[in-house]
Amino acid sequence: MSEAIVSTRIRLARNLKEYPFPIRLSADKAREVVDKVGEALKDCAIKFHRIDLSNIPDTIRVAMIERHLVSPDFISEQDGRAVYLSDDNTVSIMVNEEDHIRLQVIKDGFELKEAYALADQIDNILSKKLNFAFHERLGYLTQCPTNLGTGMRASVMLHLPALRMSGVVNRIGANLSKLGLTMRGLYGESSKPSGAFYQLSNQVTLGISEKAAIDNLQNITTQLIAQEMRSRENLLDDIEAQDKIHRALGILKSAMLMDHSEAMRLLSLVRLGVSEKKLESLSTDTIDRLIVEIQPASIMTRFGDDMSPRDRDIKRAEILRDRFN
Amino acid sequence: MLCQHCQKNEATTHVKTMVNGKYAEYRLCPECAHELGYDSMFTDFSTDFGGLLSSFFSNALPAISGATHCDTCGSTLNDIKRTGKVGCADCYDTFFSELMPTIRNVHGNTEHKGKHPGVIEYTVNEDEQKADNNASSKDKLGALRAELKEAIEKENFERAAQLRDEIKGLEG
Repeated sequence: MSEAIVSTRIRLARNLKEYPFPIRLSADKAREVVDKVGEALKDCAIKFHRIDLSNIPDTIRVAMIERHLVSPDFISEQDGRAVYLSDDNTVSIMVNEEDHIRLQVIKDGFELKEAYALADQIDNILSKKLNFAFHERLGYLTQCPTNLGTGMRASVMLHLPALRMSGVVNRIGANLSKLGLTMRGLYGESSKPSGAFYQLSNQVTLGISEKAAIDNLQNITTQLIAQEMRSRENLLDDIEAQDKIHRALGILKSAMLMDHSEAMRLLSLVRLGVSEKKLESLSTDTIDRLIVEIQPASIMTRFGDDMSPRDRDIKRAEILRDRFN
Repeated sequence: MLCQHCQKNEATTHVKTMVNGKYAEYRLCPECAHELGYDSMFTDFSTDFGGLLSSFFSNALPAISGATHCDTCGSTLNDIKRTGKVGCADCYDTFFSELMPTIRNVHGNTEHKGKHPGVIEYTVNEDEQKADNNASSKDKLGALRAELKEAIEKENFERAAQLRDEIKGLEG
């Protein structure tokens, strides 16, 4: 489907019946939960490696957020928290975030059903060894009542520059909530939309099956993308919009200092140009990889933990010049 | 503009946040931003969603069950209201009637549909449409209700009474 859909994610929340939820869990018990999950994962064909949050530096923790492998909430505490990652980083299992288990599958492009199938499969394997907290009426029990029921959050990451420029995005928000969906910024929850990237996900988890929630999200995403594409056609006939895109590329090719928000804004414009075939010899994949590479902690894990914001702006400009020249 | 916290230094940091469900903006100087924890690169990620939900709770939760605390984890209803977080699986039974209005507010529903642990009910893949069609009927309550309706239509009242009790049992 369209390049306006960057990636797809499915997240399942699960808890073990015999342990209190993380908010009332002692550090010792929390470590027990981490071990149990690791034990249960051994039956899985996919191999996972375990990362204990307390064993890694701050910058790596944040770099994992920037790659959407863990949530911002997850790294706010470290003791008794660990993440199991598959080798290709497609699957991540956070242990003792808001729930004992947050199983996440992330795939490039628009792959809701495929991503769910994989999450479902791993969930089935886990449930053979682990006794999940489940209630006939309320479904999977979660620490926060907002996740009761399926415990499933399905989301798509969208690039909507044309809808953003025309201001339509702001009006869509209110209508989405009526459809049981919610739209957020790049890093979820309260994060601000950055570079016209948005996460669209289901809001309601109780009283709607996994399949119905996914179908609904799929349907609305398709409509939203069709609207984005129509707006792009009008927009790109305009010499001013074309000028903006080419100027963005010009700055990326030659700037010596580049802060994070400027980089996101310019990359977003160039991504629009690339997917609308206005800029040859570049691919959206390149841009999407760059978007992760130029995040602050990702730069610091590669080039040094003690970099000041100024150092990062210099390095960021360098990375971008290298890639675009 | 002066820092809204110390009223002394020039404000350089603009903070947008949610406090107890209300949107708030502050302008702070670097020292105060640091003191209040708004200077790290994590700030963009911070959420006060717990606070938001707890305000939801306090409006919706009258004490009904009379339970003072959960025997399993020790949480009181106040703990849950304050944090917006439930202590353990058993809390949902202990404080069922208190939590129900909030759950209904959040989801507009109070009956789970979908997967049960260990039950491989259906897949979302299109090539298994048949399994999908069965999915809703495999939803136990739904199936029982359908059967009940049928039993009543066929005037099989003995079976209907049985089914009614079974449904009541499931609904708790």
